[in-house]
Amino acid sequence: MDLIKNSEVFRKLSGIAGSINNPVIDKLKKDGGKVAGYTCSFVPEEILIAAGLMPFRIRGTGSKSADLANDYFQAANICSMVRHCFNHILTGEYDFLDAAIIGGGCDANRHILDNWEKSDAKIPFLHRIFFPHATGDLMVEYFRNQLADMKAGIEKHFGVEITDEKIWNAIKLCNEARDLQKELYSLRKADNPPITGAETVDVIVAGNSMPKEEYIADLKTLLNELKSTKTEEKNYKARLMIIGPCHDDTSMCDIIEGLGGITVTDLTCFGAKIIYGRVKNSGTDPLQAIAEYQVQDRPFCPKNLGAHPIISKTVFENIKDYKVDGIIGQNMLCCDTWGGELYILNKELKEAGIPMLRIEREYIPDSIGQIQTRVQAFLETITGGTQ
Amino acid sequence: MINIYSQLMSAANKSLFGLTLGPQNESDGPFIIGNGDFFIEIPVAFGCSFSDLTLTGAMGTGLPNAAELIDKGTEVGVESRLCNGIKVATYYLEAGLLKTPDMIITTNSCCDAMDTLGNLLNGYKPWAHIPRFNMHAPHSYDDASYEYMGKQLRQAVTFMEDVTGRKMDMDRLREVCIESNKQCQLLLEFQELKKAKPCPAEPDLAREGAEFKNWSKDRISPQVTEWLEVLVKETEQQVKEKKGIDGVDEKIRFLWQDLAGSWASGTLLARLQKELGAVCVMDYVSFGTWTPVDLSSEETMFTSFGKRFLLEDPMNRQALHTTDLFCNDILQIVNDFSCDAVILPAHIAHRDTNSRIKVVRDMCHEKGIPCLVLGIDIWDKRYMTPDVAYDRVKTFFEISGLL
Repeated sequence: MDLIKNSEVFRKLSGIAGSINNPVIDKLKKDGGKVAGYTCSFVPEEILIAAGLMPFRIRGTGSKSADLANDYFQAANICSMVRHCFNHILTGEYDFLDAAIIGGGCDANRHILDNWEKSDAKIPFLHRIFFPHATGDLMVEYFRNQLADMKAGIEKHFGVEITDEKIWNAIKLCNEARDLQKELYSLRKADNPPITGAETVDVIVAGNSMPKEEYIADLKTLLNELKSTKTEEKNYKARLMIIGPCHDDTSMCDIIEGLGGITVTDLTCFGAKIIYGRVKNSGTDPLQAIAEYQVQDRPFCPKNLGAHPIISKTVFENIKDYKVDGIIGQNMLCCDTWGGELYILNKELKEAGIPMLRIEREYIPDSIGQIQTRVQAFLETITGGTQ
Repeated sequence: MINIYSQLMSAANKSLFGLTLGPQNESDGPFIIGNGDFFIEIPVAFGCSFSDLTLTGAMGTGLPNAAELIDKGTEVGVESRLCNGIKVATYYLEAGLLKTPDMIITTNSCCDAMDTLGNLLNGYKPWAHIPRFNMHAPHSYDDASYEYMGKQLRQAVTFMEDVTGRKMDMDRLREVCIESNKQCQLLLEFQELKKAKPCPAEPDLAREGAEFKNWSKDRISPQVTEWLEVLVKETEQQVKEKKGIDGVDEKIRFLWQDLAGSWASGTLLARLQKELGAVCVMDYVSFGTWTPVDLSSEETMFTSFGKRFLLEDPMNRQALHTTDLFCNDILQIVNDFSCDAVILPAHIAHRDTNSRIKVVRDMCHEKGIPCLVLGIDIWDKRYMTPDVAYDRVKTFFEISGLL
C-alpha cells in the first residue's frame, strides 16, 4: 500500500526488521547501552528491560547459508531456522550482544546454548531458561523459579539490582506495546485494511529489535498515520490467516499478497502469539505475574501438552473477527510440534468448512515457485476460480 | 546361558500389543494409555495396566509388515520428518486401532515427537470425553527437578484415584518398590560385570533387561528377580573364567550411543560381532545408574520416582538433558567399559543427538577416541540398509586402525 510505503516511520521499522544490527542499536551501544539476545517468545523481555538491557529476539534474517552451523546441527534433521540463527552467531552477526537467554522451546533450539558455549563465538553472559510443557499451579511455580534464576544470574553478571518496582514498570511498558500492536492488528479487520500482512510482520518484528520506549513512540506515530489516511479500495481474492512457528520474514505474505490475497491475521511465534493478552501489572510478586501470564494465559506453543484447546479457540475467534476465508498452516521441516498441531487443526477446520493449506518449508524459502503455485491453487479453490 | 529375559521380553511385547491393540480385558484393570513414559511401579501397585503408545509404535517397526506400517504412518501426514516409531503410533491412533483407555497420561519426555504424540492423543476427538493428565518432565537434573517431577507423579496418583474412585495402597506401592529395588541392584551388578574383558554377556541381555525394567508391568515379579540372580551368578562365573561371548573373538569394544532399534541389534550389531569381533559392550538403553527408591517416607519415595524418571529412563537421560551430561556419560562409559570407539547412530529423528554432533566429535577427537556419526533411521532400515551401515562401520574401524 502506497500510504505506508511513504511513511517515514514505517520505513524505519521495516529497515530494523530486515536486518540484524541496526542504527538504533549502534546508537544505543555508543551511548553505553547493553543488548540481550533471546530465543523463544516466552523469554520475558520484562526482566531484561528491568535490568536495563535492550531485548533482541534472535532471528536469522539475511542469512544466505547455514554451512558453519551445519557442523553443529545435522542439516537434514534439524530445523533450518535454528541453523540459520546459529550460523549468524558463528559469523559474528550477533557480536553486538552482551548477553543471551536461550529458551528451551524445542529440542534444536535449546541446543543453541550448548553449542554456543562450545564454539568460538564468545558472549559475556549466556543463560538457559526452560518452559513447562504442561499447565498447572506446579508449572507456574516451576517457571517462576526459572525466572528467579534468570534474574539472579543477570544481577550477578551485570552488577545491577532488579527491583520489583523496575519489573512492574517493565511489565507496564511491555503491556503498552502489546496493546498498541493489538490496535494495529484490529485495523486489519476492515474490508480494506490500511496495512498488509507483510508490512505487519515488519512492524511486529521491529518491536523485538529496538528499545521498547522508542518502538512505542514509533508505533503510535504509525497508528496515527494509518488512521488518518483514507485507504484505497481493493478487491482481495481472499482474506487469509497464517498459523505456525517462526514467521519473522515477509516471504509467505509476499506470495499471498502478490497473488491478490491478503493476510489479515496470524497465529505465529513472531506475530499474534507475542501480543496476546496482558501481564497482570500489579500485585505482590511481579515474577509470579509473568509466570502466570506465560504458563496459564498463553500456553500457545504446541510443545505444551495443553496448548491445543487455546490455539483452536483463538483460531476460530480470529476467523470470525477478521473474516478469514482460509488458513495457511506453515511449519519448518523437522518441526514436530507444529506439525502435530497443524494436523489436528486441519481436521477441525475441515469439519467447520474452513479451507486450509499446509506448507512445510525451509526458513530461507528455496522453492518459492512451488509454494506460489500451491497458494495460487488454494486461492482459486477459495474463490471457486471466479476472480 | 538361556536368555529367559528375551523370552520374557517377547511375551511382554505380545502382551503390550494385546493390551494396546487387543480387546478389552477385565483382568487388566483400568487401562491407561500414555504417549510415553510413566513410572511403571505406580500402575502396577494401583492394579491397572499402562500402555506406552510410543513403544507400541516403535515395536510395530519390528513386525514383518514394518515398512507398510511406517508408510501408513507417513500418509497420516503429521510431519514428513517425524520419527518413524511415532509415525506408526499415529497410524494406530488415527486408524482407530487402539483400545479405548479409561485414562490418558501424557508427558513431554523425552523429545519434541513425544509432545506431538501427546497433543495428538489429547486432540483425538473420539476420546475427548476421557479424563487426562499432562506431566512436564523438566530439562534439568537437580534436587529441585526431582522433587518437581515427584510431585507431578504424586498428582498423577491422585488423578488415578479420582477417576477410578479407588485409593492407592501405599503399602502395596512400597512392596512393589522393594522388588524393583532388588532388581535395580542386580542390574547394577550385571552392568559392573560387563566391564570385564572380554565382555562376558551378549549386549541384548542388558538392553532388554533395561527396556523391560522401564515399562513392563510383568517385570515386577519374583520370577524376573530370580532370573536376574541367575544372570548375575552365571556372568560372574564367565568373568572368573575369563570367558567372553560364545563364539566371539573379541577384538574391538565399542559404545553404541543411542537406542539400538528394532533392526540394528539383530542385523548390524550381530554381524559386527560375528564377522569383525566388534562387540557393543554398552549402549544408551542398557546404561543406567539404577538408583534404588528411597523408602523412608512417601515424600522420599516420590522424589526418588522423579529422579529415576528424569535420569534413568534411557531416552530421558539421552534426550532431555544437557550436552554436558551426554558427553560425560560417553567418557564414563568409554573409560569404565574400556571402549575402543564410539558410534553415534544419530537416529535421523533424534533432534537432540543431531544437535550435538560437533561437540561430541570434538570431545572424542580431543580425547583420542575414534567416533563415527552414522545417521541411520533406527526404525526404518530402508533409510540406510544394514549392509551399507555395516560397510561404513567396518571402514571406520579400518581407518581408525582398529582392524
